[in-house]
Amino acid sequence: MYGLSRKLFAGYMLVSLGMLLAAAGGSWDITNHLLNKPETFFAPPHAVLYSGVASAVVGTVLVFSASKSAAGKMIWPMKLVIAGVVMLISAAPVDFGWHSAFGLDGLLSPPHFVLVSGMVVGSAGALAGLSQSTKRVPSVLIIIAILPIWLAASGMIDMFSLPFSETEHFNFNPHPTLGVVVATLAFPFLISACLIGSSALAGKRFGVLSMAGAAFIVIGVLTSIIPNSALTSTIPFYISSIIPIVAADALLAFSRSRFSLYAAGAIVGLAFFMLYYPLITYTYNEVFESKVVWPSLIAQIYFEMIQDVLPLVAIPTAAMGILGALFIDRLVRKKKYSITTYSNWHNNTNT
Amino acid sequence: MLKAIILTGAVAVALVIYFTLSLYIFPQSYQSIEPRKPQAIVTDVSLSASDIALGQALTITVTGTNNGEDADMQFVSVGFPNLTTTDNIKILKHDFDQTPILIAPGELLSSEYSDTDSSVLAQYTSIEAFSRPWEAGKTYSADIEVIPKMEGRFVVFIKSVALPHSWELAHYPQDGTLDQQKEFVEIYSVQVTKP
Repeated sequence: MYGLSRKLFAGYMLVSLGMLLAAAGGSWDITNHLLNKPETFFAPPHAVLYSGVASAVVGTVLVFSASKSAAGKMIWPMKLVIAGVVMLISAAPVDFGWHSAFGLDGLLSPPHFVLVSGMVVGSAGALAGLSQSTKRVPSVLIIIAILPIWLAASGMIDMFSLPFSETEHFNFNPHPTLGVVVATLAFPFLISACLIGSSALAGKRFGVLSMAGAAFIVIGVLTSIIPNSALTSTIPFYISSIIPIVAADALLAFSRSRFSLYAAGAIVGLAFFMLYYPLITYTYNEVFESKVVWPSLIAQIYFEMIQDVLPLVAIPTAAMGILGALFIDRLVRKKKYSITTYSNWHNNTNT
Repeated sequence: MLKAIILTGAVAVALVIYFTLSLYIFPQSYQSIEPRKPQAIVTDVSLSASDIALGQALTITVTGTNNGEDADMQFVSVGFPNLTTTDNIKILKHDFDQTPILIAPGELLSSEYSDTDSSVLAQYTSIEAFSRPWEAGKTYSADIEVIPKMEGRFVVFIKSVALPHSWELAHYPQDGTLDQQKEFVEIYSVQVTKP
């Protein structure tokens, strides 16, 4: 660690863990709304979500106090963490008020948007803080730090692609075609950026990308598939998405060519339609099937569509996957450059 | 060079297996799974009186069961073809998982047990009491109070529908009179007399 206090390190970790819990709770909450149509704010997924928020708040207090006890200098990851958590805290009472005023809320609502934005900003800050703290972040920490960004950003994309935002008082649903376009372009970019980012943080050593992908799949199984008993038989299908993830991991770990980077991005990008099962059924059904998607019919409708959808979206999703890989590659080069520049400046100053 | 060839070959084989599974094997396997078959039944309907005076309240107790497999949602509908307002209806108590909803004339309703958008406009007042999900074997009931507004025969339509409507027994009754949604209903009535 570059002189980073344990308090600061623990703070970033708690923020990442809290955001992970909050994001997983959010995913469970979407499933709960589909299955049980809860009419109250006090639902179990909300308890998980706000426990995560509490953990993130404790982590932020540690980060803040560490920044005070250091040279009084607040680096940008700290600022991101504090900004993200302030957004989370301010969203909670507004969300409660929104429920009280308008009853059952949709996926996209002003408090939900602020909440998810706070999760993205805060978890990005925590990841940046952790990666600045050491030359090589431990594998488990990489996964814990990258997952909340992945899940929270997925939630943001869900808000602008899923048709879950029409309520008695408001209709924030995206146009069906726009929803499909957003999902087709944004999800592959995000998957690629998160997975290849985890590999880059681990110095491209084999296993970290695969573990990050496996953790995403496990969270999907726990929060989106197991709660819906009609979908449990499709778990083997969902788990099979580990295959392209491991393939991409192997490409990056055992080959240093640019082509491997592009291929890894394209491969994980292509897997987006499988990785975002079962919820993605609702987005594409609006355009391809136009059926009423009852929770027990999700699998039937999804597997009716898959042969039509995948060939149609293959090129844009592969392209977005490559773009995600290039984005991470650019970030890594920029980081290396800034570290080299800093070292040169430091050496010159000392001589 | 050999390492690159082995790596490329292994990745290619993995992807062929993956996309074959995702596009052909799993879809065939999962599409052959039969949709669930819930069975909606109204097991008990009781009216507090067979004759009431105008201005008096009538209490209707209705109980529904799902005798089949789990339903994503099932509702028991109580319709009042003599009523066009909702101000004289009260839900006294219920044990459904969600709050029953009052449907006023002019609101959109689905019809013919359809899953598509073949909607009709409600012509009279009704109540839909529902549980989402409604698990196999579960029973729910509701007590509804209504005050008829006119003398004569006051009619009550009762039905239950399980969703998704995957087979004939997902609705109750199986035959009889068709209501505004072109769905079968049981008919009950009381005589409303001068006070």
